Amino acid sequence: MIRTSGLVKYYGRVMALQGLDMTVPPGAIYGFIGQNGAGKTTTLRILAGLLLPDGGAAEIAGYDVVRHPRAVRGVVGYMPDFFGVYDDLRVGEYLLFYAAAYGIRGQRAARLRDDLLELVELGDKRDAFVDTLSRGMQQRLCLARSLIHDPQVLLLDEPASGLDPLARVEMREILKELCRLGKTIIISSHILSELADLCTHIGMVTAGRIIRQGLLHEVLAAAHRRNFIVRCYGSLVPALAVLEAWPGVEIINATEEQVEFSLSNGPAQAAALLREMISSGAAVTHFAETQQSLEDTFLQLAREGGEA
Amino acid sequence: MSRERDRTDHTAGPPGPAGSGQTTRWHRREWLKAFLWNQWEGLRNGLVPMLGKEMRGRTRGLRSPLLLSFYLGLMSAGTVAFLWLMTDRTSQIMPQVGLNLYSLLVLGMILLLAFIAPAIAAGAISGERERRTYDLLLVTRASLTGIVLGKWLASVAYLLFLVLAALPVLAVVFLFGGVPLSNMGMALVVALTTGLGYGALGLALSAILRRSQAATIVSLVLVFMLVFGSLVVAGVVSAGRQPAGDMPVPVGEPWQSVPGPPWYVYLSPLTALSPALPGTEGEGLAMSGRIPLVGTLLNEIMREFQMDPASAYARKMSYAYGVYPGTNPGSPGVPPPERGWGALPPWSRFALCQGILAVISLAVSILVIAPRKPWSVWLVSRRARARGQGGIPL
Repeated sequence: MIRTSGLVKYYGRVMALQGLDMTVPPGAIYGFIGQNGAGKTTTLRILAGLLLPDGGAAEIAGYDVVRHPRAVRGVVGYMPDFFGVYDDLRVGEYLLFYAAAYGIRGQRAARLRDDLLELVELGDKRDAFVDTLSRGMQQRLCLARSLIHDPQVLLLDEPASGLDPLARVEMREILKELCRLGKTIIISSHILSELADLCTHIGMVTAGRIIRQGLLHEVLAAAHRRNFIVRCYGSLVPALAVLEAWPGVEIINATEEQVEFSLSNGPAQAAALLREMISSGAAVTHFAETQQSLEDTFLQLAREGGEA
Repeated sequence: MSRERDRTDHTAGPPGPAGSGQTTRWHRREWLKAFLWNQWEGLRNGLVPMLGKEMRGRTRGLRSPLLLSFYLGLMSAGTVAFLWLMTDRTSQIMPQVGLNLYSLLVLGMILLLAFIAPAIAAGAISGERERRTYDLLLVTRASLTGIVLGKWLASVAYLLFLVLAALPVLAVVFLFGGVPLSNMGMALVVALTTGLGYGALGLALSAILRRSQAATIVSLVLVFMLVFGSLVVAGVVSAGRQPAGDMPVPVGEPWQSVPGPPWYVYLSPLTALSPALPGTEGEGLAMSGRIPLVGTLLNEIMREFQMDPASAYARKMSYAYGVYPGTNPGSPGVPPPERGWGALPPWSRFALCQGILAVISLAVSILVIAPRKPWSVWLVSRRARARGQGGIPL
């Protein structure tokens, strides 16, 4: 659905995108993750047709963003990270205005307005002035606006920024509903955990390059180092000896009570390691995997990407 | 329908390979049709909603009634004060009171409009940037031309509303009579073209300067310079050109043309206004002493910059400060008919200048707000072609 190849963008002499390759399959919710300044907003603005790339190519639903900007606008709904609303318009008028700007008029526009306000749970606010809405409501209204022309692709730049937890949950539910409706969605964020239970796919961007992308669980599994904690009854020395000799083990922390280590291999190796420890005479009372946070995974990936 | 046509983007050129001459012609025709359709769609998608939204927004809130009250208040106060002064002194109404009142009102209305128009338009585009609604607008299927025209026409519509609102005040003149309707129509044309041109100028500055406050201030200064400055410059320049010393008046010589006024004086509505006011037709501004306000005002401005002998020469030539072309008094024969620019009456010269100013300003606005400048699109496409990625490179 969306493909970029070798996307390059300069701001003056700063290279914001250094050959970004991104592939988003149809129907995916693609989490676009990176730190501030990594190039997320630049990429989304290029895809929305608001910026011209200095090199490379980008294609949405078969249309090249440079050569067919008009067609791209028809299939893309874009919600920027910072946006404003016309404070002198009512909610309904606001949506009708954008509907007309997309060439939708009359009965169809009115029906769309009502359906979309229902979808983003603002049905009862139709006649309220836009500036009386809360931040979360304005965010949802802006989402409704980006859906007014029934786009196949949604580009959401930090849609959850500035929202309270309840509003985030509401936003998440709406996005899941949109995914069920068959939309392809790109959501950018600098907080991985915010997206982890929402996205089907993920792309991690650092310094203008995608360092890893694919299905969420595959990316995480590939990047994941399993961390374990071992506790023994009595001395830890035999267990430590086994660990130090075992390939792929990295001891993170060893105290008198427990050893924390990471294992780069799969669960079969973990089982073999435990067997070896017991047979070497260690009285193991506790052998458990600790959950590595998504943020740690991301930071680790970012480090690896930076080194590469 | 429109989506099908959209597949043929105007930047892409005629689609498909040209098999034969007939196919190429067919492709060209289809491409042209799609291009024109896209342009029309973009224009409509921008103009119609933008016009509606702007007019709705402008008439909501306190700003509009306040502005209208201020504008009508000033005009009414001027009328009342003028009538009070005129009647109090003489205790009888002189026949030219109506004309003088009319001149005052028209001058006041046009000066007010000249400064209100850019002030209204100056926030139009920079306001979108400041409110961060600009990107949301650019990703729609509205064309930039449609958006800019919508903004411009909305401010013009508001000005039209102000002009219409002032008509009852102008109608006081009919109590006294003496003003032909055609003359009033001319004054209204000057008022509207003032708004059109200066409004477009404000819009362009709004696009260029990005901040409403800066755009408002700069546009007001620029309009001040256009309204008064152009006349002052004309005065200085014509003073420089006049020979110092009294020239003999070429009485009895065949008709000879006197150099016309410089074009830039027609950027000021005052120039257009002087013959649009009754009693000044066919006379230079210096001679329009019968209309006290306009005549003396303009004369005083000019006189400051003109040496006395030159002024005397100009008066003898019945040509003052390059504002209105004249003929040598007493010369035999009929002057040859003027053609082109010279044949236009001053108010239509002004309207023409305002039209050109509006077109240039609107074009500048569109180019400035375009997120993808035409030349950079061309550069990027050329680079892609140079790399051998003629089609969609993916």
